Amino acid sequence: MSDTLLDVRELSVSFGDVRVVDRIGFDLPRGGALGIVGESGSGKSMTSLAVMGLLPAGATRSGGIVFDGVDLTTLTERRMRAIRGDRIAMVFQDPLSSLNPYYTVGTQIAEAYRSHRSGVGRRAARKAAIEAMERVHIREAGRRVDDYPHQFSGGMRQRVMIAMALITEPELIIADEPTTALDVTVQAQILDLLAEVRRDTGAALVLITHDLAVVSAVADRVVVMHRGRVVEAGAAEQIFSDPRHEYTRGLLDAVPRIDDEIGELRGTGGDR
Amino acid sequence: MTGEPLLRARDLVKEFPVAGTARLLLPAKKFTAVDAVSFDLYAGRTLALVGESGSGKSTTARLAARLIDVTSGTVHLDGRDITALRGRDLREVRRAVQMVFQDPFSSLNPRHTVERIVTAPLVYQKRPVPGGTRRFAQSLMERVGLEPEHVDRYPSQFSGGQAQRIGIARAIAIGPRVLVCDEAVSALDVSVQAQIINLLRGLQREEGFACLFIAHDLAVVRQIATSVAVMTAGRVVEAGDRDEVFDRPQHEYTRTLLAAVPRIRPEWEAARRRNARAYAEKETAR
Repeated sequence: MSDTLLDVRELSVSFGDVRVVDRIGFDLPRGGALGIVGESGSGKSMTSLAVMGLLPAGATRSGGIVFDGVDLTTLTERRMRAIRGDRIAMVFQDPLSSLNPYYTVGTQIAEAYRSHRSGVGRRAARKAAIEAMERVHIREAGRRVDDYPHQFSGGMRQRVMIAMALITEPELIIADEPTTALDVTVQAQILDLLAEVRRDTGAALVLITHDLAVVSAVADRVVVMHRGRVVEAGAAEQIFSDPRHEYTRGLLDAVPRIDDEIGELRGTGGDR
Repeated sequence: MTGEPLLRARDLVKEFPVAGTARLLLPAKKFTAVDAVSFDLYAGRTLALVGESGSGKSTTARLAARLIDVTSGTVHLDGRDITALRGRDLREVRRAVQMVFQDPFSSLNPRHTVERIVTAPLVYQKRPVPGGTRRFAQSLMERVGLEPEHVDRYPSQFSGGQAQRIGIARAIAIGPRVLVCDEAVSALDVSVQAQIINLLRGLQREEGFACLFIAHDLAVVRQIATSVAVMTAGRVVEAGDRDEVFDRPQHEYTRTLLAAVPRIRPEWEAARRRNARAYAEKETAR
């Protein structure tokens, strides 16, 4: 078994003539945590959608995405579906739009499980759903399993999404701005929860975010994207303590600090 | 703080009826969004109202700007009670108090040119436009860091950061004495956000307006505020000078909030500053 879980090579995503992701590459060892960081329009979300095979209509993809030795770009949609949501799980920014308002959360978590575990009965799936909800620290999971998404707060809904993601014991969790819509105190709880899930299950994590502080708290490797390209990649410590690329330096300079006021904030000039 | 506050809010309360709870002959249940909030805002200063979603910070700002009516409490502008003003008197308040909103695109009319947008407050106030609308609009554009030649463009032709500059140009067009910024930099990328913060600080230095800055991002607040009021569940739980509140938070909620903010590891930050200095020295030595 190779140590590399995910190896992305020369990945490009285009809409017609416009290339939004331009020959990027990165890899991730088993159990590792990679942060993909960039501003809006950097191509970071398109990268995650490309890895999962969920690009919007009209987008074309080229390059290789090797997951556990298998190039995902060569798979049929049917075989990709068997991997997605099972060995590769996803957590998105807005749990409310990823959950179906007409079904109880228990039904949806159980369905995520049953669709990848043939032969699991309704009762066993429901039991697994309650266990998953307990693992993400939703109190009174046995009762709340029958609640609908709107009966949960934003943070609790994100816990439901994480329960749904980890129920199949995935090797890779891709989280795209998982805490961006949340209040800061709730964000801290969800980041702790993601760390706990990784520790307990050994799952690798790809975290896509615009927030450098979040990346520094979670990731051990960092990829910095700008205008569809990887401008810099390396160990988190190197990126944050000794950034080599001008763009990374500007980005880090622009981050407002809570611990002190820095004179004139330096922007990277993306505005004008 | 010595001197008279420019804007004084006392015991502001705002109740909203809860939808679906009204019964025949019985009023709806009430939800108290803002509960006995008081603050003073001084010229040339920035008071930040910080809190999480549902804390009542935006509602408080809207009460202070007289965009919505109070349930009880008073707002004084320059010593004058403006709490219940209507009509022409309220229009005068509008001249003194302007707002910048979070989403520039939804607060700028997409069918109007920039020239029309930024001069609208003067037109609405039936005031003459100094030097004609074109020249005036161009000088405003310049002041907020936009190309003066772009006055004939429409909002959709600008980036998010540029659109927010247009929103700021419109707000300062009339020379307000109070600027209310409701999450004005929250939707922007970090590098653009830094530029808009710099712009607001610079304009305040030049114009001397008081700023009521509504934000959930404590790191941004640290960069722009002179004083801070922390809100949760409709109440101010702690208020004071910025550094007092950040460095010596007294209330449990403030401590929780500050502790929850993710930070780049301090040792990495320190190393980066050292390295940046070393690179700069190498550059100059060359």
